[in-house]
Amino acid sequence: MLLAFDLLDRQIVDRDGQLVGKVDDLELATADDGGLYVAAILVGQQVLGRRIGGWLGRWMENTARRLEPTPGTGPIRIPYDLVGTVDSAVNLTIRRELLQDPPLETWLCDHLIGRIPGASHES
Amino acid sequence: MKRLFAVALGILTAIGGFVDIGDIVANGEAGARFGLGHAWVLVVGVVGICGYAEMCGRVTAVSRRPVFDLIRERLGPRVALANLAGSVLVTVLTLGAELGGVGLALQLATSVNYLLWVPVVAFVLWVALWRVKFNTLENMFGLAGLALVVFVVAFFRLHADTGDLWHQASHPGPPHGEDWGTYWFFAVALFASALTPYEVFFFSSGGVEERWTSKDLLTSRINVFIGFPLGGLLAFALMATSATVFHPLSTSVDSLSQVAMPAAIGLGKLGLAAAILGFFAATFGAAMETGLSAGYTVAQYFGWAWGKFRRPIEAARFHTVVLVSILVGAAVLMTTIDPIQLTEYTLIFSAVALPLTYLPILVVANDRGYLGDRVNGRLANAVGMVYLVIVFVAAIVAIPLMIVTRNGAG
Repeated sequence: MLLAFDLLDRQIVDRDGQLVGKVDDLELATADDGGLYVAAILVGQQVLGRRIGGWLGRWMENTARRLEPTPGTGPIRIPYDLVGTVDSAVNLTIRRELLQDPPLETWLCDHLIGRIPGASHES
Repeated sequence: MKRLFAVALGILTAIGGFVDIGDIVANGEAGARFGLGHAWVLVVGVVGICGYAEMCGRVTAVSRRPVFDLIRERLGPRVALANLAGSVLVTVLTLGAELGGVGLALQLATSVNYLLWVPVVAFVLWVALWRVKFNTLENMFGLAGLALVVFVVAFFRLHADTGDLWHQASHPGPPHGEDWGTYWFFAVALFASALTPYEVFFFSSGGVEERWTSKDLLTSRINVFIGFPLGGLLAFALMATSATVFHPLSTSVDSLSQVAMPAAIGLGKLGLAAAILGFFAATFGAAMETGLSAGYTVAQYFGWAWGKFRRPIEAARFHTVVLVSILVGAAVLMTTIDPIQLTEYTLIFSAVALPLTYLPILVVANDRGYLGDRVNGRLANAVGMVYLVIVFVAAIVAIPLMIVTRNGAG
């Protein structure tokens, strides 16, 4: 598998087909024999901003950091053991609820969308 | 009846490309000034969007991934961000123009200035996108937009000089008093709007909203091969009726009421009523298409949960983008900018987004990892390659033409 080609920027989907996010970056670790392996998938505009670079990337990174529920939480980290198969999406073996909530979603839900009548009804 | 509703997605998508407010007037104006000299552009546009929408539908049905997912995956986050910025700008500005278009259609019916209608229309649009089912929306506006068929009927009632029209269509070029610059400006504008990026974003995301799987490949193809040619036919009817009524008189067309005139001349009051209904449904449909597309593309770039099949609190970021897009679109329009001119300016931003949208589609449509044995055949690849070249050329010449011809003023 080519990491950059088959994994980076791919959509992550949970066990029930709910959208989790993109593979914004990867966390690599060194194995006992000295080889590298993918330890975790990182999701969040903090790491995406770093990959984009420039003033826009920095702005994205800083905004994402400011939205973190407690400072220093960092991006959402999904241990690679939780990945089932990789096809047109990266399929996880768990449900989305077990992962950290995306901060921007939570914030908008609490402050904007959740306050509009009909937000919790299916259309 | 079920079969009829099955093609609603294709029809609604095509309406946003071929007969949204900018195109309704552009087709009328091209017909009045150049006769049928641009008819071939519509044919070229229909073939191109059919080729690429078919690829998108196939990729979506087989892999269940919408188009913007592929763009980020294949082009990486930076280039995809450039595409996102270009596409969202086009989409939101077009959304603003469509709100104005709905206002103009309502102004024709009520004589109340369109700017007073804009906030009302924007609110109704938001409520529709917030509360109404995707299926209901596409069926209602896809089918009501077909009221524009009145222009096809009117064309036959006008007893046009078909020999003359055939001559214009078969000898493309500027008539006496027009130059090649403006001729090509209109050609590029009509072509670019036939292939606007938000069409493929909307179509593929709509496929996901309707939960297409490999079994729905046929549905996807029927949508493509009925919807887009039908959209092209409606655009052609607008051009042909205008060419019949206005071209011999050498009058130019620059407002919606003038475009409606041939329907009134051919079919009387009822024809006019159908034309206004058609304008209303087509522009409102295009407003829905662009509003949702803005949300789809942003959410798909970042991997956020999106879609009308989810409850709004489960896709808060998606619904926020839709809401903000409507507000920005309405705000742009309330500066009293001419909605019809606005759609012509969006060409600049299309120029960035067009090649960056269609290249990854072509690449992924050849990827066996996604499509297995459903990858492109030779015909699809040939069409894809040819149009990629045309899109590149159109993207390069669009801005110089716009400057040289002062937006087609000649």
